[in-house]
Amino acid sequence: MQVNVRHKGSITILDIEGKVIGTDALALKEIIDQQIKIAETEAKNGEKLNLILNLERVQMMDSSGLGVIIAAYTTIRRSDGRVVLLKLGGNVRSLIVMAKLMTIFDCYDTEAEAIGHFL
Amino acid sequence: MGERTEQVITLSLPSSMQQAYLLKVVVAEILKETDFAEDTQEQSNRAAIEAGTNANKNDNRTGQNTYTTFKLTLTDDQLTIDTVTDSDAFKHKPSETERALELSLPSSMQHVYLLDVVVTEILRDTDFPEEVREQINLAAIEAGTNAIKHGNKEDPNKRAIILFCLDDDKLTIIIEDEGDGFTRKEVADPLDPENLLKSSGRGIFLMEACMDSVTYEADGTIIKMVKYKEIVS
Repeated sequence: MQVNVRHKGSITILDIEGKVIGTDALALKEIIDQQIKIAETEAKNGEKLNLILNLERVQMMDSSGLGVIIAAYTTIRRSDGRVVLLKLGGNVRSLIVMAKLMTIFDCYDTEAEAIGHFL
Repeated sequence: MGERTEQVITLSLPSSMQQAYLLKVVVAEILKETDFAEDTQEQSNRAAIEAGTNANKNDNRTGQNTYTTFKLTLTDDQLTIDTVTDSDAFKHKPSETERALELSLPSSMQHVYLLDVVVTEILRDTDFPEEVREQINLAAIEAGTNAIKHGNKEDPNKRAIILFCLDDDKLTIIIEDEGDGFTRKEVADPLDPENLLKSSGRGIFLMEACMDSVTYEADGTIIKMVKYKEIVS
């Protein structure tokens, strides 16, 4: 798994690529936690973490990968930030549908729409 | 002398399967998890190809009903491959009609990736549709994670044994761990509204959702999962 971290204004975008399973799920959690920490330091200036998880290049995700996304969603919302999911591939979509989380997550098909969520 | 960590992974398979190829992909995946120097990686790859080719040659001499176990010993700085031709290779004996492969792993989460590789290879020449292959792959990873993490609590001295049996009409996966087991009905329903946002507890649910049947034996230390090629209505 590879993760690229980008920033567009006040929005943080993680482009995730590969298989989010096993120990890679833990690696993704660490990257997200790091972004949460950075946001907490900046929170004094009134900044909240607005996070887009770009899942377009995720080939596979297991329950531990899904758990990381759920944990990110609940943690970031607690501090008034928001998380949206971008470009769910077939695998990830069916995982989220099976787990009955489609109505919980905000999912978008284009980056412009995902960014629009925060405006 | 510092303490050397040694992990033994075994792969048992009958000669009817493409041993050399399977061994090669498994070794390549194990090497990915290491930080071996390039020439050590190359050496290990060559050893895998040699061991696989020799095993195939031996099988051609002795006929079709032989099994081979490849014992892969991984230390901090090398991977050695021993070949054992053994009719008792399998802990869970497959029936004669089944093409089977058994993988025995020390309980480390880094080895979960081997399940992904092995499932992909076993299903490669079958007519399971792509979507179904992905379901089987996910179920195998969830079952492996369950055995290694929740069953064996990631104790490297405890093993997870995974048997894959490919029959004309179905694929069966049996996963055994050395943990204390669990009771299926005591596992919380992850679709219950109060559990929906929990970050764990979906493994068993996903295995059952992805496979046609999942049964629990020996107090939950053995899980047997079946996927049929076609659902007969």
